[in-house]
Parts: sequence; C-alpha cells; structure tokens
Amino acid sequence: MSPEETARRAPAGALPGLSNPAPDATLLEVRGLRVNFGGFTAVDGVDLEVKPGELLAVVGESGSGKSVAMLALMGLIDAPGVVHADALRFEGQDLLTLKPRQRRALVGKRIAMVFQDALNSLNPSHTVGNQVREVLRVHLGLRGAALERRVLELFDRVEIPAARSRLAHYPHQMSGGMNQRVMIAMAIACQPRLLLADEPTTALDVTIQAQVMDLLLRLQRDHGMALLLITHDLAVVAEMARQVPHRVSVMYAGQVVETGRAENLFQRPRHPYTAALLAALPEHNRGAARLAALPGVVPGRWDRPAGCLLSPRCAIVQDRCRQQRPPLLDGVRCHFPLPAGDV
Amino acid sequence: MSDQAVMRADNLARHYRVSRGLLRGHALVKALNGVSFELQAGRTLAVVGESGCGKSTLARQLALIEAPSSGSLFIEGRATTGAAAHKLLRTRVQMVFQNPYASLNPRKTIAQTLAEPLLINQPALNKLDRRERVLQMIEQVGLRPEHAARYPHMFSGGQRQRVAVARAMMLRPAVLVADEPTSALDVSIQAQILNLLLDLQQASGTAYVFISHNLALVEHVAHDVMVMYLGSAVEQGPKAQVLGSPLHPYTLALLSAVPALNDSQRRQRVLLRGEAPSPLAPPAGCAFHTRCPLVLPRCRVEVPLLRQVGGRKVACHVVAG
Repeated sequence: MSPEETARRAPAGALPGLSNPAPDATLLEVRGLRVNFGGFTAVDGVDLEVKPGELLAVVGESGSGKSVAMLALMGLIDAPGVVHADALRFEGQDLLTLKPRQRRALVGKRIAMVFQDALNSLNPSHTVGNQVREVLRVHLGLRGAALERRVLELFDRVEIPAARSRLAHYPHQMSGGMNQRVMIAMAIACQPRLLLADEPTTALDVTIQAQVMDLLLRLQRDHGMALLLITHDLAVVAEMARQVPHRVSVMYAGQVVETGRAENLFQRPRHPYTAALLAALPEHNRGAARLAALPGVVPGRWDRPAGCLLSPRCAIVQDRCRQQRPPLLDGVRCHFPLPAGDV
Repeated sequence: MSDQAVMRADNLARHYRVSRGLLRGHALVKALNGVSFELQAGRTLAVVGESGCGKSTLARQLALIEAPSSGSLFIEGRATTGAAAHKLLRTRVQMVFQNPYASLNPRKTIAQTLAEPLLINQPALNKLDRRERVLQMIEQVGLRPEHAARYPHMFSGGQRQRVAVARAMMLRPAVLVADEPTSALDVSIQAQILNLLLDLQQASGTAYVFISHNLALVEHVAHDVMVMYLGSAVEQGPKAQVLGSPLHPYTLALLSAVPALNDSQRRQRVLLRGEAPSPLAPPAGCAFHTRCPLVLPRCRVEVPLLRQVGGRKVACHVVAG
C-alpha cells in the first residue's frame, strides 16, 4: 500500500467537505501525516490525537519536523510542499478536503495559533488594537461598542497592563513579552477549541517566559481549550507537567519516536533519543565536569540512514537498527527500547 | 590577587546618546552603569541577566570593540587606554558571538577565516606554519581536515559555532568573551559546544567571560557569577554562594523562573510582575523596586550600593549585612 493510494492531496479544493457528522470524542485526529518538499520528507507519518480540553506537548530539536507538522494542520504549507495524510480531522471535519474559504472560517476561530516570534508575526503597520479588532470583526461580526468592550476584555485577560492606552500602540513600541500577549489575545479572541502554540516562550526572557507559560496554562484551564504546545525545551515541558498532567510526543527527523504521559516519559524515557535529550540538559549534569552530549546532528536531506533514523547517533545501536526502520510500537519507535516502568 | 588577574574592570560604564527625534534633545541611555570584577586565568565569570540588562554592552567593552564612557579596564595588568596598548591588547581578548549564522563571513572558506587572525597579527609566520596552525585548531575543535576548504553555508549551526570558537582561539587569547554562545543551538548540540569550551579551557588556561540568560548553563560552566539588572551588578561572587544561596530578590526570582526537571531541584516560585523598565527611563532608587516583592519605602528613593556580604557582593537595602 503506497502512501499515494491512501492519501489525499491538500488543498483539494474540488471535493466538498465529506465531514463525519457522528460526534467524536477526539477533537483533533492526525494519522499518517506526511509533508514532502520536492522529494524531501520533512514530516514522515505522524500520528497525533488531542481530546477536548487536553494538553499535548510536541517536543523536538530543529529539523525534527514539529513546526512543519503544525503548519500542515493549519493548511499553511505552500507549494512545493505537499501534504498527505490518512486522516486529518478536526471536530470530525476533514481538514484536507476543506475549500480555502471554509478553512479560513475555521482557522482563527475554532483553531488558533500562537507563533514563536511575536514581533515578526504581528503586522508592523497596524496598531495592536486594530489587529485584535480585525479578528473579532471577521470571525464574530462584532462592531462598535461591543467590539471595543471585547478588545479591552481580551487585553485584560492576557494581563496587559494599562490596556486602554496599549490599544493604540504599534508592535515596535511594545516589548517581546507584551507582543506575545497580543498574539495570545488574538488567538483566544474567538474562544477556539484548539490552540496551537509553536515555541510561544522561546524568544522571551526567563522571568517573562514563566509569566507567559502560566498565562497559557491558566487560559487553557479556564476556557476548557485544548492546547498543543510545540517546543524544543524539555525543561519547560517538565515544569508544566507538575502543574497539568499531559501527554508528550517526542519527534526526531520527521517522526514521532516516543509518546506517553509526561511523568513517565521524564522519569523513565524508553527511547534512547529521549533519554539522550534529557541527559544533555545542564540541569541533569550538576557537579559533572562535562555534559552528556549526543554526538552528531539530525540527519538532513541527503544523509538519512536506511535503518533507524537515530542509528548514527545512538549509544546502544545494533546491526538491526542500521538495516531496518523500527515501527512505533506501544508508544516507542525503537527495536531495543529501554526498560519500561510505570511510575 | 590582582597581579594574577588576566582581566580587571574598574567601575566600567558605557552610556549611549540616542536621538529622540528632530526637535527634542538627545537622551542618555546608561546601558552599563559601573561594573567591576577581577578574572583569573583558567576561570570563568558568568554574566547573567535578562535582555536589556547591559550584558552584551559589557561584552563589547571587554572585547575592546567599544571604549567605555568611564571606568577602566586592565588586561594582563595593562590599561587598555592608548592606541599602542589597545592594538596589542586587542589580540589578547577574543569573542564568540551568539549567532553562528551571522558571525562568519559567507565568502570565506573555514581555512581562510581561521588564517585571517594570523595573517594580520603574525605576519612573520610562513604559509606552511599558518596552514599547520589552522589544521591543528580545526582538529582541536572537533572538525575534520576536509572541512578546511568548505564554506560556512555547508555547516550546521553547531559546526559553525565550532568554527567561531576556533577563530577566537587562533591567537591563544588570555580571555575569551562568549556572548550567549549556545542560545541559537539545540539542546544536544549545546552540550557539545559547552564540552568543547570546557576542554579548550582546560587545555589552554584561557579565562572565559560567559554571558548567558540560562542559569542552568551558568551553573554548569561558571566559577564566579555576576547577576545584572538594568546596567548594574545586583549580586556577584562565587557560584556556590550566588546560585546556591542567593540573597538579592532578583537572583531569587531568576532562579525560581528556571524550569526544573524534578521536584528535588525545585525552588520556591517567585513570579515577577511586569517587565524590566526601559533603560531610557530608569526608576528612581533601586532599579529593581518596580518588580521587587520585598520592596521597602527606602528602595524607591535611595540607590543601593554593592557591598560585601560574606564572600559575595549584593546591592540591596533589604539584605542585612
């Protein structure tokens, strides 16, 4: 069964949305997501599932395909990128067969996204107030006093001090943390069911990072919104696990290599890559002279190994790993997973 | 002590004049507001702080890229003022920048990039010796000889940072100033570069000024730590004291904001309100009083001085000393 036989192309445009009317407990269902850029597979068969109100963290280094996978969910992959999937459903609606108009009605309203670099993601030539107003006008049709009330309410909710005077500011007049709050205000403006946050705190200082993370988690709790958090920072995810129990999917070179509950994953990683990532954190090396480094780099377009993608860097690699790519079994993609153990 | 110090800063300050438009006068930004320290060979001073605290301005003063507005800097016991001393001492301090994608010349091969410091500063060296030194350094930073003929775009971020480190070490400097050397890199690559820096320090005895916002990293590499806020040091001293039992409320807040991996590493959480004030309009009194959880009336009017408390220095009215 080749991927082409089972996959449909996006954006399809021609087919009307063959949405599944049956109520589904799953908010977002992704099966076999594959994104190709002219022969290079950036995302290679990713499965994700998010239930309403749930928090899922996707962790990976640069080049792991985590951001591309999220852009594919939002329908933001442009040519020459091609998106295939066995299933890509949100609230039972097939995202692959959506017409652009239908997609635009959905994205920003039911699914919203917060990007890493707020300053570059906001429009520099409109005030931040107008940018939030636009979302409310387009998606909710708010006008006049109701619109103003809602904008102020949103600015208060994301804890922007002196909200009224901030409305007239342009992004360059605000700090990184404040711009990120504006982005979050835009994202939650229509009370989305799912918020995708792609490295929302990476560009911020640690004290501001802690504030923004707290804000996101509080909003998720208060609104019963599902949150899909993409990050490279395992420490952030570990910190979050203490506040909200959640699941983590670890990505490497376009594939999910391990998925499981955060507590288990951090205490007893089963995939050697997860274990190596955790070991490389300075926090884990207190008192050690050297850090436990993972040698080499993520394989690029031309040097993808035939077997397991981690095999050239893996500490416990065996012959079978070099020849045969392991499947994702029981939450871990490894021929020789580390011993399991529920904590 | 100070005889052995490879670098000594005395009340180093750097102010910038910034334009506020056509009709209004210039404003003065006090980016660096009197910083002093001493650094011994083979040791690492980590400078920690959030963006806008003046840590990169400090780096530029230390690497002699800019002259300080006031205060003095001594390298290997010699003052850096005067053209002759400046020219000589420039080779004794080298710098590694944050972004390895922007700090390497894209039109030069790695070998050319690494040979340039030798060409300029040791013109007597013949071509063969130069080549020898370049290849030695390439090997020392964990690259392969065939990389010498390649251009920066052919390398990953981690490899580029290795090249940047190699370039900085070519002249065997007394002090290496590293400004956020790993913050553009992935976790697994960051560990590689840190190990490289630690190995090089052990082999060469070079002193490091390591500038970072990542306290977990700092805890790993530093001997001494200086915590900066809005252009001034608020707490500085040996790592074990500053990070082990912090006294200044800002150090406490910074440490508590670091995400912890497990409960044993967890500290009491002090979530700071608001953001650092603009250095264009610093608050009166203690610069930190707008965000400080322990603020006293005195903090709003009187600037706290850096004073000795045990083995470290702290600038805070609340801390008893």
